[in-house]
Amino acid sequence: MVQYPKRLDKAFAAISDPTRRGILVRLGRGDASISDLAERFGMTLTGMKKHVQVLEDARLVTTEKVGRVRTARLGPRRLEDESAWIGMYQEMLNSRLNRLEEFLERTKGETQ
Amino acid sequence: MSSSTKESEVMSKVTTPTDREIHIERVFNAPRDRVWQAFTDPKLVAKWWGRGNKLVIERMEVERGGHWRFVEHGPDGVHGFEGRYREVTPPERLVHTFEWDGMPGYVALETAVFEDLGDGRTKVVNTTLFNTSEERDGLLHSGMEKGLNQSYAALDRLLAEMG
Repeated sequence: MVQYPKRLDKAFAAISDPTRRGILVRLGRGDASISDLAERFGMTLTGMKKHVQVLEDARLVTTEKVGRVRTARLGPRRLEDESAWIGMYQEMLNSRLNRLEEFLERTKGETQ
Repeated sequence: MSSSTKESEVMSKVTTPTDREIHIERVFNAPRDRVWQAFTDPKLVAKWWGRGNKLVIERMEVERGGHWRFVEHGPDGVHGFEGRYREVTPPERLVHTFEWDGMPGYVALETAVFEDLGDGRTKVVNTTLFNTSEERDGLLHSGMEKGLNQSYAALDRLLAEMG
């Protein structure tokens, strides 16, 4: 089975969840503390920390702790950035065309 | 198998003429009609488009203005892709928009041109154009607003006439 490249995999996984997409949209409007986010999304602090961690692993969000407050912001890889999306798209297209090539070879001479 | 020599001749060329355009040329060892079919027949699309993942073709109306929607069930989750066919000219040219659920509003335009190489092979030239956020935002702020205003003006006139 063809797997996504790892980098793509993490970003896909990170944003396949509606809450995490919501967090990205929220952070697109400005930085927010984890507790603000937890309150806004009606979650426990622990639950929100987990979501933010997934986004952080995918490098879509960074966090910084100042005093007792941990603040989240977009980046370093900004999903709004076309280049990130174009890169992901290109990898997808390439693996798709590889599959097509295999398929056409496998079914050579067959007519529908 | 005579295909082994041909496989080594398979060409693939990727260029990025601008940072928002992707250009990929691939030569497939299959006649053009067959390649066209692989792009436009849902039963065949299901065999390759999902890159080895399960693919559910929810809609595929291969005609100008027709809607397509594919859902890929990958190891990391479910991803929906969709768009509309802009041009369907068998067996030469297929143009459609492409949008991924994960990035709503980021619409790319994909053009595939199928060239018969005359030796049983087919070259597929795939060009994808991405709209920049500046353009998209510009469109939202100018074009759509203007369009809306025009619609409202027309509605105003209609209401005035009915008045």
